Amino acid sequence: MAESSPVKLAELREIPAFRDLPDAQTQSIAAVLVRRHYAPGQIIFIEGEQASSLWFVFQGTVKIIKQSLNGRIQGLCLMNQGKCFGSCPLFNMAKNPATAQALDQVTLFVLPEGDLQQLKAHDPQFIGALLHLYSQRLGHLARVSDVLGTWAVSDRINDCLLTYASSDMQPTVKLTHEKLAALSGTIREVVTRHLNLLAREGIVQNENGHIIILNPDALLPPCAREDEKAFTT
Amino acid sequence: MAIYDDGRFKIVTEDSLSNIQIFKSLSLPTRRCIAQNAVAVEYLAGVDLYRQSDPPTGLFALQAGRVKLYRQSKKKCQILALPMPGDCFGAESLPTGAPSPYSATTLMPVVIVHLRHDCLQHLLDEHTDFRDVFLQLIIDRLKQFVTLVHDLAFRDVTSRLATVLSLRAEVEGLPHHEGIIYDRLLSQQEFADMVGTAREVVYRTFKKFEADGLVQMTRSSILVYDLDTLRAIALQEAH
Repeated sequence: MAESSPVKLAELREIPAFRDLPDAQTQSIAAVLVRRHYAPGQIIFIEGEQASSLWFVFQGTVKIIKQSLNGRIQGLCLMNQGKCFGSCPLFNMAKNPATAQALDQVTLFVLPEGDLQQLKAHDPQFIGALLHLYSQRLGHLARVSDVLGTWAVSDRINDCLLTYASSDMQPTVKLTHEKLAALSGTIREVVTRHLNLLAREGIVQNENGHIIILNPDALLPPCAREDEKAFTT
Repeated sequence: MAIYDDGRFKIVTEDSLSNIQIFKSLSLPTRRCIAQNAVAVEYLAGVDLYRQSDPPTGLFALQAGRVKLYRQSKKKCQILALPMPGDCFGAESLPTGAPSPYSATTLMPVVIVHLRHDCLQHLLDEHTDFRDVFLQLIIDRLKQFVTLVHDLAFRDVTSRLATVLSLRAEVEGLPHHEGIIYDRLLSQQEFADMVGTAREVVYRTFKKFEADGLVQMTRSSILVYDLDTLRAIALQEAH
């Protein structure tokens, strides 16, 4: 971890939950937030640990994961700039339901539990912002459940590639095979075998530490195509 | 969606809201506002209350009967939850304006208190205690989905079916001289849709549980003989 230094008003404005609050209010929130830095791979909190804060991502990416008793890992989501996680104290949950780990160099703003409860009690706009964030996350988790319950492993890996691809002209996924396996609910060997198959078919190009997507349409799982059609018609 | 076309509806009183768990903590003015704006609707079995990808719905509070919440692609279905009387669902995507993340269909005749989208927005804007309750509702569903993801990712079909059967015994079960009994409610296909597998696999797993003396399934009920063993199987994680 982690030295901590005061959070500036302009920095706080980069977090969507605080963007529309009046200056005075944002200033008072900035005064209670604590800045923390994490190195790649560093654990922020562990599933089952006492929960104590609300965390906002200012820079970098955090992965939220569940771990089985046998050590297998299932990714729930990636949290990048502006996202918030670790809401358990708001809802009388004593323990973290998942683990948070820094994926790269991460800077977080931490809202301690006492200040969080104050804000919840006195700031309707803040609650509105939280509602927005959690509603988004609910839709995401419903989809993850669906994908795990009904999709074939190859479709799940393809879906992860599309989900975590950069939006450049040449979409690129900067995740290791192991992280892709965790996010798609399988093991590294299966991911590697599948990526090799995709590479032979000219759909992706395996590079050191990242995957270049050459043909995104070929990665769309059949049911995703149906969903997309239903959504647009 | 013309939701009233399929059912009869009547005026809601504050008293008729008393069995809805999350409304209990609300102030009198908020409960009065809900009663003035909500309608109680009766639906038959098999009615779609809303579909995945519909625009954000209003809030549904289940007073009697059972409903399934699920996601469906062309041929495959994943049941996400089976709300009980007293539970609320719907409106989860209202804060973002996104399409509904899943569908809701009645499993038997139901009575539902429905708050329209615009009334719900009014309550969220004007009643801070309702906003807290709605936030709690969304977070409870989040917790439920995190558990579901864990089960689908780390537990095999045997363990997942044991989880569904033991949890339902704990929540819905009635004492029986040989164990705990509850309404079957779901077809074998729907059990398969709950645990994320094919109907044939669920059939075989049920047969194994029956041969081991854990449960007995009839057309209308499930009798659990050995809840402790079922719970122990439910906790096993796949290697």
